[in-house]
Amino acid sequence: MTKRKMYFKMITASLMRRRSRMIVALLSIAIGATVLSGLVTIYYDVPRQLGAEFRNYGANMIFTANGDELLLDEVNQGVSYISDEQLVGVAPYRYENVRINEIPIVAAGTEIEGAKLTSPYWSVDGEWPSQSGEIMVGANVAENFRLKVGGDITVNYTPEEKETSDEVVVDNSIDFKITGILDTGGSEEDYVYMSLDDLQELTEDVGNISVAELSVSANSDELTAYADKINSNIPSVSARLVKRVTASETTVLTKLQALVLLVTIVVLALTMICVATTMTAVVAERRKEIGLRKAIGASDKSIIIEFVGESMLLGLLGGILGTVLGFVFAQEVSVNVFNSSISFRPLLVPITILASIAVTAISSLIPIRSATDVDPALVLKGE
Amino acid sequence: MFFRMIRGTLFRQWKKMLMIAFTIALGASLATAMLSVMLDVGDKVNQELKTYGANITVVPKESSVLSELYEVEGGESSGAYLREDELGKIKTIFWAFNIVDYAPFVNVSAELDDGTEIAVVGSWFNHHMELPTGEQLDAGVTSMRSWWEISSGEWLDEQNHSNDNSAMVGKALAEKENISVGSTIHIKGNTNDNTFTVVGIFDAGGDEDDKIFVPLNAAQALSDLDGCIDSIEVSALTTPDNELAEKAAKDPSSLTVSQYETWYCTAYVSSICYQIQEVITDSVASPVRQVADSEGAILEKTQLLMILITILSLIGAALGICNLVTASVMERSSEIGLMKAIGAQNGAVSGLVLTEIFITAIIGGFAGFFAGFGFAQIIGHTVFGSSITMRPMVIPIVAVLVVIVTLIGSIPAIRMLLRLRPTEVLHGR
Repeated sequence: MTKRKMYFKMITASLMRRRSRMIVALLSIAIGATVLSGLVTIYYDVPRQLGAEFRNYGANMIFTANGDELLLDEVNQGVSYISDEQLVGVAPYRYENVRINEIPIVAAGTEIEGAKLTSPYWSVDGEWPSQSGEIMVGANVAENFRLKVGGDITVNYTPEEKETSDEVVVDNSIDFKITGILDTGGSEEDYVYMSLDDLQELTEDVGNISVAELSVSANSDELTAYADKINSNIPSVSARLVKRVTASETTVLTKLQALVLLVTIVVLALTMICVATTMTAVVAERRKEIGLRKAIGASDKSIIIEFVGESMLLGLLGGILGTVLGFVFAQEVSVNVFNSSISFRPLLVPITILASIAVTAISSLIPIRSATDVDPALVLKGE
Repeated sequence: MFFRMIRGTLFRQWKKMLMIAFTIALGASLATAMLSVMLDVGDKVNQELKTYGANITVVPKESSVLSELYEVEGGESSGAYLREDELGKIKTIFWAFNIVDYAPFVNVSAELDDGTEIAVVGSWFNHHMELPTGEQLDAGVTSMRSWWEISSGEWLDEQNHSNDNSAMVGKALAEKENISVGSTIHIKGNTNDNTFTVVGIFDAGGDEDDKIFVPLNAAQALSDLDGCIDSIEVSALTTPDNELAEKAAKDPSSLTVSQYETWYCTAYVSSICYQIQEVITDSVASPVRQVADSEGAILEKTQLLMILITILSLIGAALGICNLVTASVMERSSEIGLMKAIGAQNGAVSGLVLTEIFITAIIGGFAGFFAGFGFAQIIGHTVFGSSITMRPMVIPIVAVLVVIVTLIGSIPAIRMLLRLRPTEVLHGR
C-alpha cells in the first residue's frame, strides 16, 4: 500500500517538478496521436466521401424493359431493392417523337427532381422546369429554333392510333414556357425535357418508361449484386450497369485510396519515430538521476518500472489529447473538402491511446536500459 | 578556439547530435515527400481520370445541329465531314502537350449478307503517330475505351498490317448474329463491300454493343468516304473551370486583351476547344460535360485533401523538431553554466550553441531531403506507376522550414539558459 502510494507520488512529483520538460514531451506525444487518429479516420472515410463525389459522373445503373413494357411502378419496385442510404437519385425517362414547328424532335418526360440528382453535370442556362407547362430545351434545339429562356413554344404530338385511321388527324398540342437551355456536350442537347405528367397529357396515355437512370453510391461489386437481385426478382425489368462509369470509378477510386493509405503510413511512421526520439532525449538527460538512485541502492527493476510508468502516464495523457485533436482535424478536413461531417469511429480511441502508450514506453526503455547498465560511478562522474 | 569548441561538441557529443540530425532529417523528409506528392497529385489524378474517356468532342459545324434531328426519321449522315488529313494538327495547338489521346470516328451503315442492317464504326485502335516535335503517340479506342471488357479474343492491333481487314464486334450484335472470334463477316456498304475477320468481341455496356468497329480506312472504303471523318474524340488534361473560363466559354470576344491571354494560355477545357476549332476547318469542339465537369470536381477535392494532410504533417514535423531541439539545448545547462562561470559572454554562448545546432540541422536537412524525395517516388510508383516530378520550389520551402523551425526551437531554450545563474546551475539545482 505505502509502496504503491510512494510509486505514484514519485511519478506525479517527477512530472510536476520538471513541468516545462514534460510539457514538451507531452506535446510531442499529442502530435503523434493527433496524426494517428486524424489520418486513420480520414483514410476510412475517404472512399465513402470520394465515392459520393464520383456520383458527379451521373447514373451508374439503368433499368430498361425486359420485353415490351416498363411501367413506373415496376421501376419503383426495382428501386426498393436498393438501400436508401446508397441511393443518390432515380430518374425515369420516357421518350416520344413530338414536333415543334412541324420539325420532329425527341421529347423526354422525366421526374425533374430525380434528373437533377442523376445528372448533376448538366449545365442549365436558366432554371430547371419546376411546374407543369414548363420545358427545358437542349442547346442544339434552342439554336436551331432560335429559342430563348422565357420564350414560349408549342409542342405537337400525333397520337399513333389516329395516324392510320381515315379521320382527319388532329394533333394534341400544349404551349410550354421555356425555363432553361441545357448544355451537356452530348446527345441530350438535341432533346427537350418536360415533366412526365406533361408528356402524359400531351400523348393522352400513360405509356411506358423507356429507361430509368439510377445513381447509386456503391462499388461495382455491390452494384452487380443489386442488378442480379433486381433482374431475378422483377422479370419485367432489366437492370444493367453503365460500364463506362462503374469500371472507371473502380480504377480511379482504388488508386486514390491507395494514395491516402501510403501517405498515412509514411506520415505515421515518421511521426512515431519523431515521438520516439523526443522521448529518448527526455529520458536520456536523466542519466544522473538514475545513477544516483542506483548508488543509494535502487534495483534496476524498480528504476525501469518507475521510468516506464512515468512515460506511460505521459503516453496516456498525450493519447487522450491526440484523439480529441485528431478527430477535430479529421472533421475540419471533411467539412472543408467534402462539405459533410465525418463518422466517429469509437474503436479508434483505444487504438490511439494504446499506440501512444506503447510508443512512449518502448522509446523510453532504450535510454533507461543503457543508463542502468552502466556503473553508477561512471554515470555520476558524467561520462 | 570557437571552431575547436564546435568540433569538440560535434565529435564528443556525436550521439546526441546524431539524434538531433536524425529528427531533423525525419521532419525534412516528411515535408519533402508530402510537398512533392501534393504538388504532383493534380497531374497524376488527372491522368487517372482519363479512363472516363474523352472530355472534348469535335464535330463538323453543319452536322452539330442537324444530324441527330434527322436520325430520328431514319436518315443517317448529314453530308458534312471533317478532314482526316487535318487530324495531326490537333497535336500542334498551344496546349498540345495536354492532349493525351484522341481518335477519329466515321459511322457507316451497312448490311450483312442476310440483309440485316448494322452500324459500322471506323476508328483508330492503336494508331501510331510520329509528331513533328519528335514525340511518339499511340492513340485510339484501345486506350480511349478502357472500360470495354473484351469478352473473347483481343484488341485489334492496328500496327500489324495483316489486321487491315479485321473487326471488333459488340457483344449484343455478336450474340444476335452468332459471330465468334475468328469468323469472317461479309459487309456490304453503300458503295463497296469487304470481308472482315473478327479478332475480338467486346462488352461496352451501352449502345456500342450493337456496333462493329473496324480500322478507319476500311470503314471509309465501304462508303467511298476517303479522307472523311464524322467526329473526333479528344482526351485532354484540363484545369478546372473558374469564372473567367465560364465567361470565355460563352463568348471569347467579350474578354479584355489581358483576360483573353490568361484564358488562352490556361488549359481550361473551353480554351482547348477553342484552339482545336482554330486548326480543324469548319468544326465545333465542345466539352463533354459529364466528363469535363466531374473531373474538375474530383480533382479539386483530391488536391484540397492532400493540401490539408500536408499541412498537418508539416505542423507535426515542425513541432517534433522544435521539441527535440529545445530538450537537447536545455539538458546542457551545466555545461553552459560552467562556460559562464569562467567568464563567457551571453552572445558568445548563444553563438556557439546556435552554430552547433545549425551545422547539425544542415546535415540532417540534406539527408532528409533526399530521403523524402525517395519516399515520394515510392508513393508515386506504388500508386500511380509513374515517378513524381521534382518541383524546384520544394527545395526552398523545405530549407526555410528547417531553418525557421530550428531557430524557433532553440530560442526559448537559449533564453532560458542565459537567465541561469552559473552558481545555481553548477550547484546542481
